[in-house]
Amino acid sequence: MDLIKYFTFSMIISILGIRGILLNRRNIPIMSMPIESMLLAVNSNFLVFSVSLDDMMGQSFASLVPTVAAAESAIGLAIFVITFRVRGTIAVEFINSIQG
Amino acid sequence: MKSISIYLSLILHRTDLLGPIHNFLLVFLGSSLILGSLGMVLLTNPIYSALSLGLVLVCISLFYILSNSHFVAAAQLFIYVGAINVLILFAVMFMNGSEYYKDFNLWTIGNGLTSLVCTSILVSLITTILDTSWYGIIWTTRSNQIIEQDLLSNSQQIGIHLAIDFFLPFEFISIILLVALIGAIVVARQ
Repeated sequence: MDLIKYFTFSMIISILGIRGILLNRRNIPIMSMPIESMLLAVNSNFLVFSVSLDDMMGQSFASLVPTVAAAESAIGLAIFVITFRVRGTIAVEFINSIQG
Repeated sequence: MKSISIYLSLILHRTDLLGPIHNFLLVFLGSSLILGSLGMVLLTNPIYSALSLGLVLVCISLFYILSNSHFVAAAQLFIYVGAINVLILFAVMFMNGSEYYKDFNLWTIGNGLTSLVCTSILVSLITTILDTSWYGIIWTTRSNQIIEQDLLSNSQQIGIHLAIDFFLPFEFISIILLVALIGAIVVARQ
């Protein structure tokens, strides 16, 4: 019963992250927050199953996932900075003309 | 750093309060998790939503401590709250107030349809989870255990698994970090 409760929690947070991406298409740094929330929910799912099955492989993998999240968050911020400098605005609907 | 429940039992001198305190902490953390993620999605001020993302990350880290995995909790605090949340706050404060959509309406027809679809996905997934017999799944994890597992601490076990089972992903992650660093600097320079 504990496994089912924790699994449901992490799944609720993942689906709220998906909904956050679909609802918040105003600008880029607001859109990167639900992406981090989805990665966090998947990480928590790894750990919940690792604790339930008494296996350490899930915890080892769950300590590698935040590094990938940090790398893609840094790249997203760099793209946001260059978009703001080139374009002067951060409305996402003009993003389809990115070159290079 | 041992488990919190041992400390609590020593402080309270009663062992019949462990279960309720554990349950109370889990309910408290779960409710603040759901409130924080709802606030992150629905709040209009972007600094408030970035701070509620920080609340969600800290609550998940405390939840990891309750589940007796201390290394992942500390790594989560350092990497997620200390690096990613600060990066997101920097990106949010980079823009000034005139960049918002002034007439941003949360309850348009498209947004309502999206919420309906997400709620239906959530309900179907919850019914699938409740219908699956998780305890009927064969435990295939006996071959992954280290021989002296009870004598080692949590960090030592994770270190052994990283060096033996996850050696190739470990090297690839270091290459990913190097490429991300070089790419971010090349993209964002003058």
